[in-house]
Amino acid sequence: MTSTEERSDADEKAVGPAFECRSVTVEFPHKFGRKRIIEDISFLVRSGEFLTIVGPSGTGKTTLLRAMGGLTPTVSGSVLVHGKELDGPPEDVVIVFQDYSNALLQWRTIAANVAFGIERTLERQETEQRVRDALALVGLERNADDYPWQLSGGMQQRVQIARALASRPAVMLMDEPFAALDAMTKASMQDELLRVRDRTGTSFVFITHDIEEAVYLGDRIAVLTGSPGRIDRIFEIGLPAPRDQLSTRQLPKFLEFRYAVHQAIGRVHG
Amino acid sequence: MMRSPPLRQHFALVVEALPSARGLLPLVVLLGAWQLLQTGTSPYFPPPSDWWDGLMLLAKSGRLYPALSATTITLLLGLAVAVLIGTGMGLFIGVFPRLSRAFGPLLEFLRAVPPPAVVPVAILFMGYDERMKLTVVVLAAIWPILLNTSSAAERVHPLLLDVARSFRLSAFDRMRLIILPSVVPAILLGIRVALPVAIVVTLLVEILTSIEGIGALMIGAQRNFQSSQVYGLLVLIGLFGLLLNNVFAVFEAILLRRWPPKTQSQHF
Amino acid sequence: MDKDRVIAEINWPGTAVLVFWGLAWEAAVRSGLLRYEYLPAPSAIALGFGELASQGILAPDIAHTLIAVAIGWAVAIVLGVSLGFLLGLSPTARRYSLASIEVLRPMPGVAFAPVGLLLFGFSLKTEMVVTILPVLWPVLVNTIGGVTGVHQRLYDVGRTFRLSRKDTILRIILPAAMPPIVVGARISLGLALVLAVVAEMVGNPEGLGYGIVREQQALRPDLMFAYIVTVGLIGIVLNAGMLALAEALFPSFRQLRGGP
Repeated sequence: MTSTEERSDADEKAVGPAFECRSVTVEFPHKFGRKRIIEDISFLVRSGEFLTIVGPSGTGKTTLLRAMGGLTPTVSGSVLVHGKELDGPPEDVVIVFQDYSNALLQWRTIAANVAFGIERTLERQETEQRVRDALALVGLERNADDYPWQLSGGMQQRVQIARALASRPAVMLMDEPFAALDAMTKASMQDELLRVRDRTGTSFVFITHDIEEAVYLGDRIAVLTGSPGRIDRIFEIGLPAPRDQLSTRQLPKFLEFRYAVHQAIGRVHG
Repeated sequence: MMRSPPLRQHFALVVEALPSARGLLPLVVLLGAWQLLQTGTSPYFPPPSDWWDGLMLLAKSGRLYPALSATTITLLLGLAVAVLIGTGMGLFIGVFPRLSRAFGPLLEFLRAVPPPAVVPVAILFMGYDERMKLTVVVLAAIWPILLNTSSAAERVHPLLLDVARSFRLSAFDRMRLIILPSVVPAILLGIRVALPVAIVVTLLVEILTSIEGIGALMIGAQRNFQSSQVYGLLVLIGLFGLLLNNVFAVFEAILLRRWPPKTQSQHF
Repeated sequence: MDKDRVIAEINWPGTAVLVFWGLAWEAAVRSGLLRYEYLPAPSAIALGFGELASQGILAPDIAHTLIAVAIGWAVAIVLGVSLGFLLGLSPTARRYSLASIEVLRPMPGVAFAPVGLLLFGFSLKTEMVVTILPVLWPVLVNTIGGVTGVHQRLYDVGRTFRLSRKDTILRIILPAAMPPIVVGARISLGLALVLAVVAEMVGNPEGLGYGIVREQQALRPDLMFAYIVTVGLIGIVLNAGMLALAEALFPSFRQLRGGP
């Protein structure tokens, strides 16, 4: 499959917003009753858009992501994928987790790991083709027969991304995927992710506590703050594409956005 | 302020880790069903009530308590001697690791022979008496304790040894203040592993030789086709083993109260 | 490559010590330094091997014990893994059974010998009565631990890819739980050998265990030691065999066991 064919797939799905949260609230049982983790979360994700959600620890970012991925039920409000309300993990959405070594199947080769999500639903030939494509997208073609423990952290995370991509989701939800990586690996992974987005047209919802990462990657940034967590502001990041680690980060606009996001987060905490 | 962490805290952890008492249901149901279904006096599967009667018979005839105390004394004495010798040798080997590597294959080969297989050797060498029984128990219980102690002594964190050196401790003090306390959890683990082995070997000797003990009572009852006594003694052994394990667990908890809790056994 | 690695991995000083002690033992007995009527020299033990083998006694005894081990172990694995999965997957089942397991676990296998004799007399079945329960525990406990220990993240992955319950069990839980299950199986194998030998000593007069006792009573220490050495060697072979099998079947285990 070439990138143009992949693009037209994405265009078909671009009729309405790929993803929508309407007044989502999530509570968990707590020592004395229930604790409200996130409250009244509403936003859209357009097709092919890169939305970053940024906020300090404890604001419920992971909970929000899990609710969007159908892993955690909402107490009120709804999550819609292509306009359809979800109950349970929706078909066009895949989550990429932060702890890659726990999320990969240690007893399978890289290729078998990437095939995991699709091997039951597709013919063998198509599965193998998609695995090859996904590995090529993340640059791991030569590691198809290795085992996860033989790869570095960055490579393992790429395997998880490849596994998600193999199922051709409309939306990829990523929970601080680069938090456990060193700075240089993180930087190259960020660029790789943007390249993947350009080639496949997938929408991304990317959670991070790293404000610079959020500004660098995002088309829009949602700031999540407070307890219970609420969306404080959504920024439109008007930075030029393609982004570059050195030049983009030095643009005055980049610094402005960074400052603004810092302020937005700091505001609620006084 | 030097104070031991409250025992209560550690006991709370131990108690929390205990499985729910509802888990005894299968056993209760099994015994209950057995009791109800066995109406006659079957020679092969007497009901649990008969087991109790059989045990009472043994107790009244004055044979139960001597046997029980003989087994218990052998066990505890054997374990004590095994701890002394095993810990001593283990520390020695651990502190001089070159020795352990030289003796490695020899020890490995000796370890491969299961303790029960050595019982006839002891019988041949030492005859049919209490001294032989004690020796076998010591030989069986020594291995886990020795191995655990030596490996723990070898693995004392080099940082601690540096601390010893920077305080210019004598070899004796270093052993007493640093190495020995570091090794205590491993010794206790070794004892915990040695306990069931010691029980098996003790019973084995008693069954093979009819030297005084519960095992001798059991095999005697079997030879006389006293099936209810056999089952009763089986339950007694089970309870005995359970009691020993739990008493040891309590003892371990008390002893290890100064160590971080995770050195105790894990449950799920 | 492999031959060099094997040669490098052999503990030469250790083997030298072993050989040294063997020779010292031999010399001590021969020279009369160590005269004890029940302590044979290594050469005598070797001759004893030959005697047993040539009389056609050794092989059937080995076979008998191995059969007892195989049956006991196979039953333990089938029961232990299936029961272990049931209990591992259902917290309710665990709540209503773990205490019983904890009560039964300390039961020494040898204590079942008189019961077995009562029910089945001198037969293989008696050996089974002694072997089954203790050999079951390592597999059962390790299977439960393996299943309950599957990381939450793996369940999340299964759900984000919308796996059915059956697929989750077969393709995530089962392989994830394999390492502890295999360890449990290996422990059970060694235990099965010990218990079979014990059962043959007190329960069923056949096999290697009976061989040890028989030669002890016949005052033939050379043959007795030959039997004991056989038991030790079989134990080593079984354990090594199990390790090799695990490595062949599950190549990813090397990392999971902690390094190549």
